[in-house]
Amino acid sequence: MSDTAIKLDILTPMGAIRDGIDVPGVEVPGVLGELGILPRHESLITAIVPGVVRFREGGNAVKLAVGSGFVEVKEAGRVIILCDRAVEAGGVDKSAVQSRLAEVRSALERERGPIEAAEFRALQDERAWLEAQLRL
Amino acid sequence: MANLKELRNRIASVKNTRKITAAMSQIAAARLRKAQDAVIAAKPYGDRMRDVIESLVGGIDPAERAAAHPLLATRKVERELLIVLTADRGLCGGFNSNIVRATLAHIDERRREGVTVEVVAIGKKAVSSLRHAKVPLRASHDAPTLATLVTLSKTVIADAIAAFGAKPGERFDAVRLLFNEFVSMLSQKVHNVPMIPLVPGETAGAGAREPSYEPSRAVILEHLVALAIEARLQQAMFNSIAAEIAARRVAMDAATDNATEMIADLTLVYNRERQAAITKELMEIIGGAESLKG
Repeated sequence: MSDTAIKLDILTPMGAIRDGIDVPGVEVPGVLGELGILPRHESLITAIVPGVVRFREGGNAVKLAVGSGFVEVKEAGRVIILCDRAVEAGGVDKSAVQSRLAEVRSALERERGPIEAAEFRALQDERAWLEAQLRL
Repeated sequence: MANLKELRNRIASVKNTRKITAAMSQIAAARLRKAQDAVIAAKPYGDRMRDVIESLVGGIDPAERAAAHPLLATRKVERELLIVLTADRGLCGGFNSNIVRATLAHIDERRREGVTVEVVAIGKKAVSSLRHAKVPLRASHDAPTLATLVTLSKTVIADAIAAFGAKPGERFDAVRLLFNEFVSMLSQKVHNVPMIPLVPGETAGAGAREPSYEPSRAVILEHLVALAIEARLQQAMFNSIAAEIAARRVAMDAATDNATEMIADLTLVYNRERQAAITKELMEIIGGAESLKG
């Protein structure tokens, strides 16, 4: 176990985005707010909401938009982020995201169904994901 | 006796068919690699998600699960929702028909028990076969591709969760999934698995020291149950895509072999016929010459 680095995995259904890379620390969008994880963190599992994950990789700052999921910190200095989707800062077409977000927002305003209806939840989910991408 | 022109046409047509089946087999071979890689790439996510949700749920007393999260509630099943996963296209051996057969058998059995069954059909083949069998469809979708898979799984699961949580009388008490697992190049296995309520496996909650759950087990559970159910469907979809391509590869290889055999048989018949015709003509010429000599 290193005191200066942690091993980071980022897993999505489409495959591993990062696989066991060494990072000095990582910031994740926890359900209670942003959460920074440094070496020697105690073991922990917490939920993450759509937002931005930040870490440094080989001297470069990396930002990733992630969907919902959870982050697991293991005592062996390993951090596993599981999220249903992830995209890197370079991979986002902001204008496309913005126009889709406008559509989703207006659809949400028109939505008169019950708050637990499938369409409403799907729209909210998509809105959170689009907003996360814009925060990159 | 078939005439020569008919035979020639027949051979040409089988040759054309063989070209098509050979091309389809090659396309499937090329796509298979990618689909197999996707299954392998998706596995760590699915496995980890399952492990965490199982240790979360496994730590809760079975009697208290329903109170912990509505999607863990086991009810007496009066209405059941089946998610049926097939392909959009045929020509892949028993891939689609095995699923449809398993679905119809399952529905028959449930109906005898007095359970009402509705189906969410994914894949054009499931939609058309089940509609033909007069099975009530709650929704129908096109088969997933690697690009649409995550979005489609979210749509389907959101709908299934709404169906599970609806008013008594309208709600479904259980959601199951039927899909083909990619076992190997040569075999697919039909699975019929429960999706909702979420029931942890036998090994859940055993051993391993519990990590601390922040902010609490309940909050994480609330957040993860739907994701875990989605992850199950996603795994099934990755498997189904790879299994479909493998099944098509095998079916098209077999079809190509059959066409080659057929061409060989037909060519033999053709040559025999042609020789017979030549011989007959010669006999006639000789007969004609003989009679002229007369």
